[in-house]
Amino acid sequence: MLRAPRSFPYSLLLPATIVMLAVVLFPLGYSFWLAFRNMSLYHFRTHEFVGLDNFQLVLTEPIFWTLLGKSLVWTGVNVFFHVALGVLLAILLSGPVRGKTILRTMLVLPWAMPQYISALTWRGMFNFEYGAINLILKQWFHLPPVPWLSDPTWAFVAPILTNIWLGFPFMMVVALGGLTSIPADLYEAAELDGANGWEKFTNVTLPSLMPVLVPSILLGTIWTFNNTLVVWLVSNGGQPADATHILVTYIYKVAFTYSRYSYAAAFSVVVFLMLLGFVVYVMRRTSSQERTA
Amino acid sequence: MFRSLPFRASHLIACLMLCLVLAPGCAPKKSATGPAKIVIWSQMDPEERARFEKNIAAYQAAHPGVTIENVPYDTENLRQQFQTAAAGGGGPQLIFGPSDQVGPLSLLELIRPLDETMPKGFFDRFVPQALDTLNGHLWAAPDQVGNHLLLCYNKKLVPVPPANATEFLEMAKKLTKDGVYGFAMNVNEPYWLAPFLAGYDGWVFAADGKPSLDTPAMRDALGYVALLKSKATGIMPAECDYQIAETLFLEGKAAMIVNGPWSWAAYRKGGVDLGIAPLWVLPNGKHAMPMIASKGYSISVNVPKEQLDAVIDFVTFCTSPEAELRDAVALGVLPSHKDAWNAPEITSDPTLKISQDAFTMGRRMPVVPEMRVVWDVMRPGLQKVMNGSMSPADAAKEMQAAAEQQIAGMKR
Amino acid sequence: MKKNDQAWTPGRVFVQVFLILFALATVYPILQIVTISLRPSDQLYSTSLAIIPAGASLRAYQTMLFQKPFLLWMRNSLIVSLCVTMLGVTLASTAAYAFSRYRFAGRSAGLYLFLMTQMFPATMLMLPLYVLMKNLHLLDTFAGLVVAYTATALPFCVWTMRGYYDTIPYELEQAALIDGCTPWQAFVKVTLPLAAPALSITALFSFMAAWSEFLVARIVISRQELYTLPLGLESLAGQFQTEWANYAAGSLLVCVPVMAMFIALNRNIVSGLSVGGVKG
Repeated sequence: MLRAPRSFPYSLLLPATIVMLAVVLFPLGYSFWLAFRNMSLYHFRTHEFVGLDNFQLVLTEPIFWTLLGKSLVWTGVNVFFHVALGVLLAILLSGPVRGKTILRTMLVLPWAMPQYISALTWRGMFNFEYGAINLILKQWFHLPPVPWLSDPTWAFVAPILTNIWLGFPFMMVVALGGLTSIPADLYEAAELDGANGWEKFTNVTLPSLMPVLVPSILLGTIWTFNNTLVVWLVSNGGQPADATHILVTYIYKVAFTYSRYSYAAAFSVVVFLMLLGFVVYVMRRTSSQERTA
Repeated sequence: MFRSLPFRASHLIACLMLCLVLAPGCAPKKSATGPAKIVIWSQMDPEERARFEKNIAAYQAAHPGVTIENVPYDTENLRQQFQTAAAGGGGPQLIFGPSDQVGPLSLLELIRPLDETMPKGFFDRFVPQALDTLNGHLWAAPDQVGNHLLLCYNKKLVPVPPANATEFLEMAKKLTKDGVYGFAMNVNEPYWLAPFLAGYDGWVFAADGKPSLDTPAMRDALGYVALLKSKATGIMPAECDYQIAETLFLEGKAAMIVNGPWSWAAYRKGGVDLGIAPLWVLPNGKHAMPMIASKGYSISVNVPKEQLDAVIDFVTFCTSPEAELRDAVALGVLPSHKDAWNAPEITSDPTLKISQDAFTMGRRMPVVPEMRVVWDVMRPGLQKVMNGSMSPADAAKEMQAAAEQQIAGMKR
Repeated sequence: MKKNDQAWTPGRVFVQVFLILFALATVYPILQIVTISLRPSDQLYSTSLAIIPAGASLRAYQTMLFQKPFLLWMRNSLIVSLCVTMLGVTLASTAAYAFSRYRFAGRSAGLYLFLMTQMFPATMLMLPLYVLMKNLHLLDTFAGLVVAYTATALPFCVWTMRGYYDTIPYELEQAALIDGCTPWQAFVKVTLPLAAPALSITALFSFMAAWSEFLVARIVISRQELYTLPLGLESLAGQFQTEWANYAAGSLLVCVPVMAMFIALNRNIVSGLSVGGVKG
């Protein structure tokens, strides 16, 4: 900790805080307010306070728990592969490799493409008969075609694959940056101690990456949990048969297809509280580890 | 040494504020807004948009001082953005799109009842199929009718289109070979199921306005489309949505497709020798009857009184026979104005004539807001029947239950 | 880099081959988009796997660049994105420095506050955001977009910068303070240069957050002269008929500035492998 006048940290923080509060405070407050009312298509101008009715409805409908399960799978699988692939590629790319710049540039392309067209292109690649993926499975590996878009399970795998592709470059860039903060002498010391590659990774690389990686993982989890676009586009709005919805695509549908604004707001508040609980839990754990370390 | 600090920090803040103030300066200067400027948000396909821009140019030339700004959206975004903007007290003066958007927008009191807004007798000029009344009012001034599904076929492969179910099936089976399918259709969307439902004497709503999805007609319609799609029949690809059906038809790999007038321009551009025909007669001896709908202009509640006359004048121009005929001939859509409907440009054009005949066979799509729910609950059932995981009878039952539940939820 | 001179051990060959194959697989979907952009008919999908379609033409690129207001969209997007980048990096580097180096009342609450703003599903925030922008007279202005995007980018930027500052030892700044620097000078002259990789990441991230966003842009901007690239591209889509070739060509052109930005910042992101200064 450094010493400075008491006002110094606050003046450093002030500009960022002003911008955040200006943009976020009112919309958030409005949505919380809305969650306790009954604004919908039939009560748009005449909505009134209904207490916890919306929340009761959200938590008692069986669909909530199904969607929550899917959201958890969606988030867990995506974030795991984003981080695993991102860190792996970053480490490999900082080793002795030819053509680093071009490889790095190729690998970052999915992040640079507008998601709308990427997602639709992937939908095309998943077609049963003509999609590139099934054709490759058939011609190269002699595997039977997979009903990517018509079978409920595979139709959920398809957006996950797409989103892994979309998301790993970001983690790779973050990890590349994080690797630069590791002093070379730490590795040298580890080598002197006779550490092998894996030991160097777990004892030096990973702990040193953590400060930069943890925020990205936390935010990556939040973003993935709240990602509407990819599931919506790849599954074409929840196809087949609304079997591919996660919580947030369902909120989108309830709000815009059925105009059940207050119900959707209550749903959103529930999502918000769950994510908040998750983050507080994770932060408590990592900060207690930091203290013991 | 700490003295200078607050000064520095405030310096930084000042810089940032400056940044924010300067940023709008980067924007092009705002043109004058006033009665002379009309903004319209519209849902149009690319070709239709190009035509509309020409109509705007013609209108502006005849009315110097009036500027019309057309902002294109797709259907969903149009409704959502308009809903957000108009509810927030802003948004455009006019919104142009499919007839069913007036359902939610009128309930939310975001558009004006046009029977009270437009001059007396304004709506007498339209063909009756073009007008949809909701809660006793007219909410949109249509400039075209249609949206009806027809049988489109590749003349190279199909010399004469099939007239009934037997001919259709025989022909489709014969054509299915060498990587070519006899038939392709978007089987994921209930809009494509509707003609078959109507052909089997069913409909999405009963006379009392309640959904009527669990009916023998629904089971028959689902069963019939499932039969066409089945592996045993073998005339359609295994997964077939809008894009795939269209791709196959464009590449000459599907001989027949069910699609609407909006698709013709692209087929011709793609080099398909296009023929069209009304949908065929079903096994029960009745024609499959497509849903029909209009597209039209609605006026926002946020239009101030002093601007209303200018907006009304522009809407009147857009629904005039001249403007409509230009569109109809160029785009292959059907006009809503009686004079244009009967004009020789339409009746002597072979394609448009067939389209007109097919249109008159159709049934008007309901514009009540519950229609969106019905589409939505039909979709899962339809898709489950199509991928073989559910029987038509169960799907019909599920659709009805879901519709009742969702409509109840919507009305809470 | 001295390691490049090492011999081609089997492990190294394996890594090299793996990276090349992985990069090729990564690029494959983008090749599909290239194919769409070259197709003479507006077709999203095809039954053929050929990368160069039959009758390939570059007309879509010509259309996008010279007939559509693509360059105007690009200009608008660049203005917005660069403003967001500057604002985001400035605000995040200062705020994160406070979080990393000082203990003060409300510190951990503040950190959570930044994260909390990301947790609410965006769908429900659109209507109030519109009302807010309207009342602040920020509708149809770039300022409105810049502020909104900066707010979306800040949480990540603040947290990442803070994480990176945490890896830089205090001793250098303490030495600077003893030498008579103000805390502000110690920050700007000592810490900030060492944080270059993190600054690059936050810059890239802020830029991207603004560059490809369209939900908020839809709400704030409705005048076509002010369209950013995502809005412009979206306006090519119709209900059933979309100008797919133009859309694909436009999407690929959209990538170009991002790649330029990435390559420019790349050096910063990976340069520090030998991190001289920190060892001290």
